[in-house]
Amino acid sequence: MGSVTDDEVIRKRLLIDGDGAGDDRRINVLLKSFIKWCNSGSQEDGYTQYQRMLGTLGQCEFSMGKTLLVYDMNLKEMENYEEIYTEIGQNLTAAHEKIAECKKEILQAKRIRKNRQEYDALAKVIQQHPDRHDTLKQLESLDKELQHLSQIKENVEDKLELRKKQFHVLLSTIQELQQTLENDEKFSDADEHQENQMETENGH
Amino acid sequence: MGPNEFDPQRSLQVLHMTVFSQSFSPCGKFLAAGNNYGEIGVFSLSAALGPEATEDSKMPIVTFKAHDGPVYSLLSTDSQLLSAGNGEVRAWNWAELVKKVSVGLGALGEVDNSLLMAGGDNKIHVMDLESGDFKMVLEGHSDYIHCLALRDSAGECLSGSEDGAVRIWDFRTGREVHSIEVFKYQECSRPQYGKYISCLTTDSDWMLCGGGPSLSLWHLRSVTPTTVYPVPGCQREACFHQDLVLSVGDGPFVSHCHLSGDVKARIPCTPPSLYSMRLNYSSQEHRVLSVAGSSQN
Repeated sequence: MGSVTDDEVIRKRLLIDGDGAGDDRRINVLLKSFIKWCNSGSQEDGYTQYQRMLGTLGQCEFSMGKTLLVYDMNLKEMENYEEIYTEIGQNLTAAHEKIAECKKEILQAKRIRKNRQEYDALAKVIQQHPDRHDTLKQLESLDKELQHLSQIKENVEDKLELRKKQFHVLLSTIQELQQTLENDEKFSDADEHQENQMETENGH
Repeated sequence: MGPNEFDPQRSLQVLHMTVFSQSFSPCGKFLAAGNNYGEIGVFSLSAALGPEATEDSKMPIVTFKAHDGPVYSLLSTDSQLLSAGNGEVRAWNWAELVKKVSVGLGALGEVDNSLLMAGGDNKIHVMDLESGDFKMVLEGHSDYIHCLALRDSAGECLSGSEDGAVRIWDFRTGREVHSIEVFKYQECSRPQYGKYISCLTTDSDWMLCGGGPSLSLWHLRSVTPTTVYPVPGCQREACFHQDLVLSVGDGPFVSHCHLSGDVKARIPCTPPSLYSMRLNYSSQEHRVLSVAGSSQN
């Protein structure tokens, strides 16, 4: 059943469309009508047929003109698309290059960031220690104090030595005086004793 | 065993699996991960990260048993993968050949063609990669060593250990330059977590260390702690990246912090506790950060 209807369909199609579609059919019809017109007899019929043929010819020319224009348009569009295509290709390569450059820049920036962070980390540690100038100043003032104090100490020691020497002199003088006084007493005792002896001798 | 068959023992293993260490290949296209069963799995980054990745392409392309005990540390040199487990270090060519090397454990570091191995015997052994003999032994720690970091600019290496001290060693003289007892500094110490140092990394003049004491940034020239990061839990691995500090540890997240001390972001992850973190610098198209840890229960 299917094949029969298929055959019917094909036959119908061929009957309707036997001359091809559209423009092709028009040209075939024109050809057939030209031949009919050449073979026709009467004047009026011939004239109307002639007019009809001119009309069909006009239509054919019109459709040919249209097709030519469409062809031109297609060519121009192709060119346009080629241009756009090359432009896009160039943009792509440019973008790739930019991406590569940006990647390099990113690496550079990351290195810089890493260096800065290392610097910061060390700076934090350094901050914890007191300032160098302050420590130096403290050291200087401590030095001065030390010198000052050591000078005072020297002075005091000198004074102490001097006083010791003075006391020594004083004590030795006192001792000498004591000795002299003792000696004097001894002599004066001895003198008195002698005098007493002489008096007792004289008294007898 | 086909991939679709259900293996109950394997599923139990997967449930209790913990990844301790990772390493990217020198070409940057593969990631090796070592787990607590002594296996090393190699994943292909291009397959797993590509646009047509499926569940299968995220499975390891190769898994092999490397050690009897857990693989605690992995390190990639120019052509080899070195893995350290309980008692031995093995070298595998990234083209999958096996070559047993020598004895050491714990943490691995590489500098100038020599391999540094540090671990349970409290010492760091420096071995020449070409000849295979030991050049130096650095002694001084009183407890086992958790982590190593290298400071190429000064020819030194740092080691952090269970005894709470970070020691800085000079390669040329083989002697200790400095010893920093992190837990003795008020601002870092967290006595409730202990004093061990489990993560250590250095960036020429600066050092990050953490573990029992909180994660802190130190200036090495003056040996002073400059910033303490308010990250909860013990950190197992930390690293410097551009202008950030990334760290992982207890807790299912990766912390991104600025050098100044504020936590910029805390990216959540599936494992409840992370042990290892690696950045893939050797590849341009697979620049990833990979973190690994214990399995979800």
